[in-house]
Amino acid sequence: MTAFWFFRPLFQRHAARLAWTLILSVFTLAAGIALVSVSGWFLTAAALTTAAASFNLFGPSSLIRGLSFIRILSRYGEKVFGHDATLRLLADLRGWLFASLFPRVPLADRGLRHGDLVSRLTADIDALDTVFLVAIGPMLAALLLGSAMATGLWVFIPAAGLSYAILVGLAVLAVPVVLILASRRMGKELVEASAAARIAVLDGIDGHADLIAFGETATARASFTNSAARLAGVRRRLAMAGTLAAAATQALAGAAMISVLWFGIAAVHAGTIGGPLLAGLLMGTIASFEATGALVRGVARLGVSAAAAARLKAISTARPMVVDPVRPLPLSNGDVRFEKIVFGHDPRRPVLRGLDLHVKQGSRVAIIGPSGSGKSTVLALLLRLYDPQSGRISIGGADIRTVALSDLHKKVALLSQDSPVLLGTIRENLLIGRADASDAAIWRALAGAGLADFVLGLPEGLDAFVGETGRTLSVGQARRLCLARTLLSPAGILVFDEPTSGLDREAELAFLADLDKATAGRTVILATHAAMPAGAADHILRMVDGRLESA
Amino acid sequence: MRDQGRWMMRLWRHGRAPMMVAVALPLVSGLLLVGQAYLLASVLHRAIVVGASPRDLLTPVLAIAGLFTIRIALAVAAERCGTVAAERIKLSLRTAFHADLLDHRPDWTAARSSGALSSAIIDQVESLDGFLVRFLPAMAQAAILPLAFAIIVLPVDSVVGLLFLVTAPLIPLFMALVGLGAEAASRAQAEAFARLSGLFADRLRAIVTLKLFGRAESEIQTVRLASDDLRLRTLAVLKIAFLSSAVLEFFAALGVAGVALYVGLTYLGFVDLRHSALTLQFGLFCLLMAPEVYQPLRLLAANYHDRAAAKAAVAELARQFDALPDFAAPEGVEPPTSIANLAAPIAVDMNGISLRTPDTSRLVMDDAALLVPAGRHVALVGESGIGKSTLLEAIARMRAYEGTILLDGQDLARIAEPELRTRVAFLGQRPRLFHGTIAENIRLGRRHASDAEVHEAARRAEVLPFATALPDRLDTLIGEGGIGLSGGEAHRVALARIFLRDPGLILLDEPTAHLDTETEARILDALMDFAAGRTMIVATHSAAVAARLDRVYRIVGGKVLPGPHMRAARPAPALESVA
Repeated sequence: MTAFWFFRPLFQRHAARLAWTLILSVFTLAAGIALVSVSGWFLTAAALTTAAASFNLFGPSSLIRGLSFIRILSRYGEKVFGHDATLRLLADLRGWLFASLFPRVPLADRGLRHGDLVSRLTADIDALDTVFLVAIGPMLAALLLGSAMATGLWVFIPAAGLSYAILVGLAVLAVPVVLILASRRMGKELVEASAAARIAVLDGIDGHADLIAFGETATARASFTNSAARLAGVRRRLAMAGTLAAAATQALAGAAMISVLWFGIAAVHAGTIGGPLLAGLLMGTIASFEATGALVRGVARLGVSAAAAARLKAISTARPMVVDPVRPLPLSNGDVRFEKIVFGHDPRRPVLRGLDLHVKQGSRVAIIGPSGSGKSTVLALLLRLYDPQSGRISIGGADIRTVALSDLHKKVALLSQDSPVLLGTIRENLLIGRADASDAAIWRALAGAGLADFVLGLPEGLDAFVGETGRTLSVGQARRLCLARTLLSPAGILVFDEPTSGLDREAELAFLADLDKATAGRTVILATHAAMPAGAADHILRMVDGRLESA
Repeated sequence: MRDQGRWMMRLWRHGRAPMMVAVALPLVSGLLLVGQAYLLASVLHRAIVVGASPRDLLTPVLAIAGLFTIRIALAVAAERCGTVAAERIKLSLRTAFHADLLDHRPDWTAARSSGALSSAIIDQVESLDGFLVRFLPAMAQAAILPLAFAIIVLPVDSVVGLLFLVTAPLIPLFMALVGLGAEAASRAQAEAFARLSGLFADRLRAIVTLKLFGRAESEIQTVRLASDDLRLRTLAVLKIAFLSSAVLEFFAALGVAGVALYVGLTYLGFVDLRHSALTLQFGLFCLLMAPEVYQPLRLLAANYHDRAAAKAAVAELARQFDALPDFAAPEGVEPPTSIANLAAPIAVDMNGISLRTPDTSRLVMDDAALLVPAGRHVALVGESGIGKSTLLEAIARMRAYEGTILLDGQDLARIAEPELRTRVAFLGQRPRLFHGTIAENIRLGRRHASDAEVHEAARRAEVLPFATALPDRLDTLIGEGGIGLSGGEAHRVALARIFLRDPGLILLDEPTAHLDTETEARILDALMDFAAGRTMIVATHSAAVAARLDRVYRIVGGKVLPGPHMRAARPAPALESVA
């Protein structure tokens, strides 16, 4: 529950709308109670009156009409305000979560899987979002109206007021608390079960070809059915908790009604109140349960929201792998130096063991070596995706830990092995490298990556849409698109991780031969297992046992 | 559209018994409510008009409490049955959709967004929950209870009865009018939601790249704009949908106010439409029933968006899956139409093959032919994107093709699935590592392989050199998409699966991409050893791979040409500088 507090600032931005929602919903409920009370009172009074001519008809009848209209209008307003606020909150939450993820990637927790993350961003935020509308708002409204009703009853029939206060108080406060405590664990389970089912589906989609090739679709089916059945089981239990809580609320409301009736009859019999008043109060009591009835369904979802909030809080407060310096120093051009670098994702298994590297400004260096030997790691360190356990990396003499990350990323552009093609047009994909690139620059980059002819041949050209993970492109074309994106970037240092994987030897040779022209005097570091044609690189270094040697 | 509506209304049959109980019990409870109101009115009447003492009224008050208790019990039972039925229906739907997905060819899934598909199976099916649990019972109540209440009230006072009878059926009419608009808008919303989900998945996958290119701000903006777009769409739906609740509120208030004023004026003698005098008991009974007549409709209105959401979800499901599963037919694939066994090494004979890109806009292979005799090892080379992978996928029956492909003289299209998969091994260019241990991933090749066999496969695929350095060796957990392993390592794990099989035809797409020369050479040795006595077709860019195979074919201009003199097979001048 405390995780909600963390999101307070986001809710506060919409405080006015949320307050209006609450006020309007109280108006709606109060008008409903008043309408029925006045009707009951009026009807009974009319039945008992002996002098019809002197009966004040105008007051009650105009009150009844007025209350009807208040109820209709405030009901509509309450709904529109409430949902508007909720949806604004939803947009804010999504943007906020995305913003808080950026400084934290790559996430330290390697167990955070893609399907799980997607589930967090959508389902968790949806769950958190409805907290006010379906849980907190109705609870506050029920509390306010319950107090008002109890006070009203207490004025006329003190015993009824007291019992109403106790019973409805239990319904509004105790039942939700018990339900929250009981459903908290289930809520967490539900979010997990739902994420697991989603991952099972994603495994089936992304691994479809593999499953079919190995005739293992039955296994995938069984494993999905398992996770879906688990999801159904958790949902059933959660729903049962809600059902029982609703029954408890109804029972308490029923008891409150009976007690008002009982003490009311006694009061009428004793002559302390009149018959019309009893009819009015009893009808009002029954109408006041409209507020408590809506409560439980919302509270049942509070547990789900709390689990979602806790997960969102955890991911958005995770310590970033690297931190920006407080007072960043400027970064200038110059040589790249790695000095005595020791690094391993698992510090007990260092991949780099005292690595040294010196790349002169404007020169091209190739790093070769077996896969898994740490070539990619060297490149990632230069971009501070991680910090080394010991040693120092500098550009133009400035330790990269002393400069702003954004400056570093402007200076160094990386083509990683798993560089993605984004959902969008070819142009949009390229502009990620440089937002203000001219068409001429775009075509130059495409030519450098050997993709210009292909794009020219497309009917939509640069505006051709490429699908998820670039599936309408071949692997080689997707790779070249990412390559073009990196070439387009204005960075002075270009870092390529296996730039030619997925390309055939001819295209590879062509790319490496043109590297000189395409990178035009910029510093280039590339990690590759490709055979380097003569002249493609100024130096070729080999990764051996966590260090670099001249090849 | 109408079919979808019908399909949706038939859903309840998959949870028949509990669903019927869930619908019936609230109706019983409604009738008990009439008794409760009657007793309550009579108690008030006796207390107020007759002046009965609390002791005289103890029995009817207890009876009211009893009725109340029974109604609570009925509500619990009904809700429980509703949930059980809904979960049963959703489970069978999810299983059916998932099975449907797997029954397609991989090119079908490849052409779709995985985020949108998973959201369809998980989220859209979940959107049916409200429709099943709340809307269906509410619909039954709204259809029966207001009329029943009106008819019961009719003998008590015909004017009030008529008032109920006339206003109650008008409400659904108005709401249907309002609902029509809400529905169109809500469909748009479901689409926006699916697109948003797809966008999130995509941007998340790319988040590190976006960060490094300094795109954080603009991508946050993109996500924000998409969310705002969703907000505006949703709000448009809701503003209309809420009109229906205002209409309802209007009628409900009119009902209560009308009854109160009519009965009050009757008592005062200003209105005289009755033959006999109206007692306070009957007057109060009418007033107590007034909100209850509109309550089932209010419940229906509150759950109306459940139906709209369900309809939109069904439309989205139908869009993602091309069709809605038909439960009448037994699920599963067509029984195999097949024939004789495939021989040990399988001969491949292709003629008139035409292949298109997934969006079917571009012809990749145009009337191509290729003959690979049994036991021969063949390389397919050509520029990237020229169609090597596509051709291999066609031979593996992973995508649609025009023309004929014969395996051992048998039409590929007619070979039974299990037979084909047992005898043909295929390793794609982007093999998927599933969440689980390395050993579990290798066992995808053969589920019941012994630990020793898995170990041997791992050794041959050069998995051991890196796996032995891992804390749990082959039992190390690897994540979705192989997070934690480098590209080359992941590929080798996928390759190890092949060694657990006994195929007559091996189809490999870039088996040594991401690998250094030494590892490549060792894996090639193991592969050549394994491929003895089997047919093998390898799509490759690697000169080293092509050089080891019997024959090289080159794909040019949509044709497969014999290319014994492939340029890449000749060592490039600078090759030695590396080796």
